[in-house]
Amino acid sequence: MNIYIYIIRRLAYLIPVLLGVCLIIFLLFNVVAGDPTAVLLGKHPTAKQMAELRHELGIDKPMVYQYLDIVKSAFTFDFGRSWATKQQISSMLKRGALPSLTVSVPAFVLATILAISISLLVAYFRGKFIDKAVVFVCVMLMSISSLVYILFGQWALAYHLGVFEIAGYDEGFPNFIPYVLLPILIWVVISVGPDVRFYRTVMLDEIYQDYVRTARAKGVGEKMILFKHVLKNAMIPIVTFVIIRIPFLILGALLIESFFSIPGLGGITLKAINNNDFPVIKAMTVLSAVAYMVFSVVTDVVYTVVDPRVRLK
Amino acid sequence: MRMFHLLVLCLCILGGSIGCKKSDDGLKVYNIASTSEVKGMDPIYAGDLYSSEEVGRVYEGLLEYHYLKRPYILVPNLAQEMPQVSRDGLTYTFKIKKGVLFQDNECFQNSKGRELVAEDFVYSLKRLADPKLQSLGWWLLDGRIAGLNEWRDKHANLDVVNYDEVVEGIKTIDSHTVQFKLVKPYPQFLYALAMPFTFVVAKEAVEYYKKEFLNHPVGTGPFQLSVFTQSNTIVYFKNPTFRDKFFPSDVDFTLANSELSKDAGKKLPLVDKIVVNIMIESQPRWLVFQKGDLDYISIPKDNFDTAVTPNKELAPDLLAKGIRLEITPQLDVTYIAFNHDLPIFKNVRLRRALSLAYDVNKSNTLFYNDTALPAQSVVPPGIAGHIPNFVNGFRGPDIELAKKELQEAGYPDGKGLPEITYDITASTVSMQMADFFKARMAEVGVNIKVRTNSWPELENRIQNRTVMMWGIAWGADYPDAENFLQLLYGANKTPGPNGSGYSNPEFDLMYKEASVMQDSPERTAIYENMNKLIASEMPWIFGVHRQQFSLKQSWLKNFIPSDFTTGRCQYVNIDKSEKENLVKSKF
Amino acid sequence: MDNVAVLDGELIIDEGPKSKSLWRHAFDTLLKDKVAVISFIVVSIYALLAILTATGMLAADWAKEVGSSYSPPSAEHIFGTDIFGRSVLAKALVGTKIAMSIGIVTATISVVIGVFLGAIAGYFGGKTDEVIVWFYTTFSSVPDIMLLIAITLILGKGLFAVYLALGLTSWVTVCRLVRGEVIRHKDREYVQAASAIGGSHFRRLFIHILPNIGHIMIINFTLLFQTAIKSEVILAYLGLSVQDAPSWGKMIDDSKLELARGVWWQLVAATLFMFGIVLAFNLVGDAVRDALDPKLKGK
Repeated sequence: MNIYIYIIRRLAYLIPVLLGVCLIIFLLFNVVAGDPTAVLLGKHPTAKQMAELRHELGIDKPMVYQYLDIVKSAFTFDFGRSWATKQQISSMLKRGALPSLTVSVPAFVLATILAISISLLVAYFRGKFIDKAVVFVCVMLMSISSLVYILFGQWALAYHLGVFEIAGYDEGFPNFIPYVLLPILIWVVISVGPDVRFYRTVMLDEIYQDYVRTARAKGVGEKMILFKHVLKNAMIPIVTFVIIRIPFLILGALLIESFFSIPGLGGITLKAINNNDFPVIKAMTVLSAVAYMVFSVVTDVVYTVVDPRVRLK
Repeated sequence: MRMFHLLVLCLCILGGSIGCKKSDDGLKVYNIASTSEVKGMDPIYAGDLYSSEEVGRVYEGLLEYHYLKRPYILVPNLAQEMPQVSRDGLTYTFKIKKGVLFQDNECFQNSKGRELVAEDFVYSLKRLADPKLQSLGWWLLDGRIAGLNEWRDKHANLDVVNYDEVVEGIKTIDSHTVQFKLVKPYPQFLYALAMPFTFVVAKEAVEYYKKEFLNHPVGTGPFQLSVFTQSNTIVYFKNPTFRDKFFPSDVDFTLANSELSKDAGKKLPLVDKIVVNIMIESQPRWLVFQKGDLDYISIPKDNFDTAVTPNKELAPDLLAKGIRLEITPQLDVTYIAFNHDLPIFKNVRLRRALSLAYDVNKSNTLFYNDTALPAQSVVPPGIAGHIPNFVNGFRGPDIELAKKELQEAGYPDGKGLPEITYDITASTVSMQMADFFKARMAEVGVNIKVRTNSWPELENRIQNRTVMMWGIAWGADYPDAENFLQLLYGANKTPGPNGSGYSNPEFDLMYKEASVMQDSPERTAIYENMNKLIASEMPWIFGVHRQQFSLKQSWLKNFIPSDFTTGRCQYVNIDKSEKENLVKSKF
Repeated sequence: MDNVAVLDGELIIDEGPKSKSLWRHAFDTLLKDKVAVISFIVVSIYALLAILTATGMLAADWAKEVGSSYSPPSAEHIFGTDIFGRSVLAKALVGTKIAMSIGIVTATISVVIGVFLGAIAGYFGGKTDEVIVWFYTTFSSVPDIMLLIAITLILGKGLFAVYLALGLTSWVTVCRLVRGEVIRHKDREYVQAASAIGGSHFRRLFIHILPNIGHIMIINFTLLFQTAIKSEVILAYLGLSVQDAPSWGKMIDDSKLELARGVWWQLVAATLFMFGIVLAFNLVGDAVRDALDPKLKGK
C-alpha cells in the first residue's frame, strides 16, 4: 500500500476516536460530575442566580446538545473561557505550554541520552557483573515512589543544602534556568530506571540476531558491532519509543509542576480538576488525546518507513 | 579546547544575566507574595481575598475603612464626605470628589483618563446587578435597592441589557451627586460601598476591552497595572494622575505607633512600584522572605516553630535581622456544622454531647500552633456582639459530661446512633483534622466515617442536603456581627449562607429586628443575646477564631494589620537605605 | 503514572505452542535463581503481614495514641509517632494490607478485562475487533488522571474506588498484547485441529489458545501489581485514596508538611515498606519473564 494513503487512512481514523473521546468526556464530567454553580458564585449564592448561571454556562441544555458542543469544540479547538477564572482558554494554554516545555524537553532529552548510553554499556558487558549491578540499581530506583523523589529532593537538595531553588519560576531565557534544574534532575532520576531496562532489552534483542553472529564470525570487533550494527538497528524501536512519549511532555509532569510552582499545563489541569472547571478539563483532555493519536500515527509511519520488515496493514 | 571556551562563555553569559536582577533605578518597590492565583481584576468578580486585594490597588469606591483607627470605621474615599441619610434611613445622597481622573488608558479619547462623574457609580452598580454577568457581589444589593431587582429580572430574558434605563434607586442628582434609594433599612449598606464589588469602573474601558476587561483594569486608584501574568507576577506602578490624597493625620499618634507620624499628611501613594509574586506553596515563600526579597509574609504553619518561640515571641535569628512579628486576630470562625434537616441533629443534647467530646484545645495545639482563640459562639472578638470572657458550658473537652449528655440524648455510649459521615475537602491538613475529630468522637462511642471531597463536591453535597456533618469556616465580609449571625438565620437556608439549615423562631425574630437597626447599644444587646442563645443551642460545634501571625521586614513602614486590606498598599512605605544597609549586613 | 515499557506484540518472535514441559522447565529455572527465591520469600512475608493485619492479629489498634505528637524513632516505637502520637509502624502495617489488596485486586481486574477483550478481538476479528480496537484506542487517548478522577467521582471515594480506578485505567496494554498473540495462535495447526474435531469457539479460545498465552498474563500481573502500589501514592496526593485507614500513599503525602519541621520518619517508614515489596515484585517479574519468555531462553 502506498505510504500516503496509509497516512491519510490513519489520520482519518482520528475522527471516530475523537468522537469517542468526546463521549467519554461527556459521560464522565457532564453526567456524573457535580454542578459547578454553587462554587462559582462564591460565598453568597442564591437559587435564582444559580439557575441563571446554569443557563449562561449551557449546562441546562438537553444532553444531546451538550455532547454536540463538546464535539464542536474538539474539532474547532475553540474551548471558550474557563468557568473559574473567566480567562480565554487558548491564552491560558499558550502561557502554560512554555513553562512545561522548559522542564520536560531538557529532562526528556537528558534522560534519553543517559539511558541509551548506559544501556549500550551494559549491552557490551552483558551477563557480567556490571550488567547485573546496573539492572539491579535500575530496579531499585524504580521501586521508590516518584513523590518521594520530589519531596526528598526538594527538602534535601534545595532546602537543606541550598544547591537549587526551592520552587518558583521566572519567565524568559535565561531567567527560568535556576528554577528548572532540580525538577529536571528529579525527572531524569525517575525515568532513567525504566528507560535503561527498556533500551537494554532492545539492544539485547539485536545482539542475538543472526547478522550480528555473522559479523562476529567475520571478525568484526565487539565495539564496532555494538555501535555500527546494534545501535543502528536498535534505533527503530528506540525512536518509536521516544516519539510515542512526546505528547506526554506537553502535558508536563503534574506532580513536579505543582511541587515546584512551575506555572505549566500540569498545574492548570490540576486546578481545573479541583474546581470542576469543565471547559479547561475538556480542552486538556481533547488536546492530549489528539497529540497522543497524532504521535502514534507518526510512530507507525516512522516504523514502516525505516523497517522494511513491517507490512502496512 | 574550542568547545571548552565556548562552554565557559555560555556559562558566563548565563551567570551574568541571572546575577543581574532587574534594577529599579531608585524606585521604592513594595515586594509581596500572593498565596493564590489571581483570577482577574474585574471588581464585580472580586469575591475572594486575593483578587479583591489586587482590585483595590487600581480601583476605588465611595468609602473606605480608616487606615489607622480601630475598631473599624468608614471614611469617605471617592465621596466628598459621608452621605446625607434621609430621616427614614432609606435615601443616601453622596457628593463625590471633583477632579478625580481615571487612569490614562487607550480606551479613552486621546488615551487621556477623563474625570469621574456620578454617572459612573450608577453604571458600576448596574453592572454588579447585570443578570448576564453573574457577578459575585449581587447578594449585597439583592432586594435592597428600589427598582434594581425589577431591572435585573426584566433583562434576564432579553438579549441585551439596557444600562440607559433608569432605575429608581440609583440616580444622579447632578454630575457629581449620586443618590441611592433603599427598599427597607439596610444598616450594612455603607459597608457594601467600601467593598471591592462596588468599586467604580469606566464604561469606556468595559466596552473597549469587552471580555478581556478583567485583564485590563482602569480605575481611579493609586496604582496602575503594568504586567499581569496570572500565575506568576503582577507589577504595578504609581498612578501619575492620582488625585491629592494624604496619609491620615487625624489620630493621636502618641497613642499609636509614633513611627506612623513621620508620614502623616504626606501625599499618597508612598511607594513607586508594587511587585506581587504568586507563590502558592508555603515553603518557597518562607525562604524568599528570609532572603529579604519579600517585605512581609504570614508565617506558614509548618515554619511556625522555627520562627516563633513558645512564648509567642520572634526567634532570635529573625529578630537580629530586624524582622518584626505582627499578630492580628482575624474576623472569622471555624466550625463543624450539623445538617439540621436530619432528625437526629434536632436533638440539642446530642449536639452538645458531640461538642463536649471534641477537644478544641488540642486541635488548636496541633493545627494552629496554639495561636487561635477557641470560639465560644459565633461572633469573633473585635466586633460588637462578641461577649468578652464569656465561656460556653458546652465546649469540650469534657468526656464525662459528654457521655452524660449522650445518655440523656437517648444514645448511651453512642448506642443507637447511626454511623455519621463527616465531609471535608481533600487537603492534607483537613484530612488530619478529620482524623482527629474521628478519634475524639470514638472516645464517647460515636462512629464517624470521614469522606473527602473536592470543594465543588462538598458544596454540592451541602446544596443537595446529602451531608451529615462537615467542617468549614467563615470570614467576615464587613465588621458587623450580622455577617456571622446570618449564617444561622432560618430564611438563609441553602443555597443561602445557612448551609446547616438551622432554624429557631426565637433567634430569627431577634435577627429580623436587629437587621434593620443602625449600630447602637440596643442592637449590640440583641446581638449579644443571639450569641448567647446560639451558645446554648450549639447548632454547630464551634472551632476557633484564627489569628494571623505575620512577619515584616524592618524597612517596611506603616504596615498595619487589618481584616480589610483592600487599598492598604497606598499607605505603606519602604525605607530604601535601611533596606540596603540591612540586606548588606545581615541577610 | 509511571511509564511501563512493554514490548509490543508484534516484536515477539514466533514460537511453537508451549507444552507442559515449558512450565516445568520455567519452574526449575526459577528455583535455581537465588534472587528470585529470595524475592519470593519477601513477597510471602508481605503477604503474611497483610493477612495478619487483615485478621486483626497485627496493628489492630493502630488508631490508638501511644506517645506524644511527632516523637522520633526510639526503641519503643522504631518508626516514631505521627501528629496524633500514633505508631508509624502500626500505620505502615495497615498500609501493607491495603497495598497488597490494591495490588492483587487491581492487577486481577485489568488482566481479566484485558485478556477477555483482547482474546475476543483477536479471535473473532472483523467488526468485533474493530469495535474493541476503537474502544481501547479511545480509552488510552484520554489521560489517565482524568479517568482516575472521573471514576472516583462516580464511585465515591474509598478502597473500592481505588481498586476500580486503577484497574480500569491499566488494562489496555494487556488487551493489546493478548489480541496480538491470539491472532498469531488462532490459525495454528493445534487450533485448527481442535476446530476439526468440533470444538466450539469458546472451547477453542479458552481451552486451547489462552493457556498458551499464560506467560503474558503472569508477566503483566507482576508488572501491574507493583505499578498499582506506586500509583496509589499519586491518588493519595490527589486526595483520592482510601479514607478511613492509613495507606503508604497517605503517609508519604502527610510527610510533605512534616519534612519542613524535621519529621522524616513517616516518609522513611512508608518508603521502606513500599520499596521492599515493589523491588521484590520487580525481581520476581524479571525472573518469571526470563523463565517463561521463550525469546530469552538459553541466552
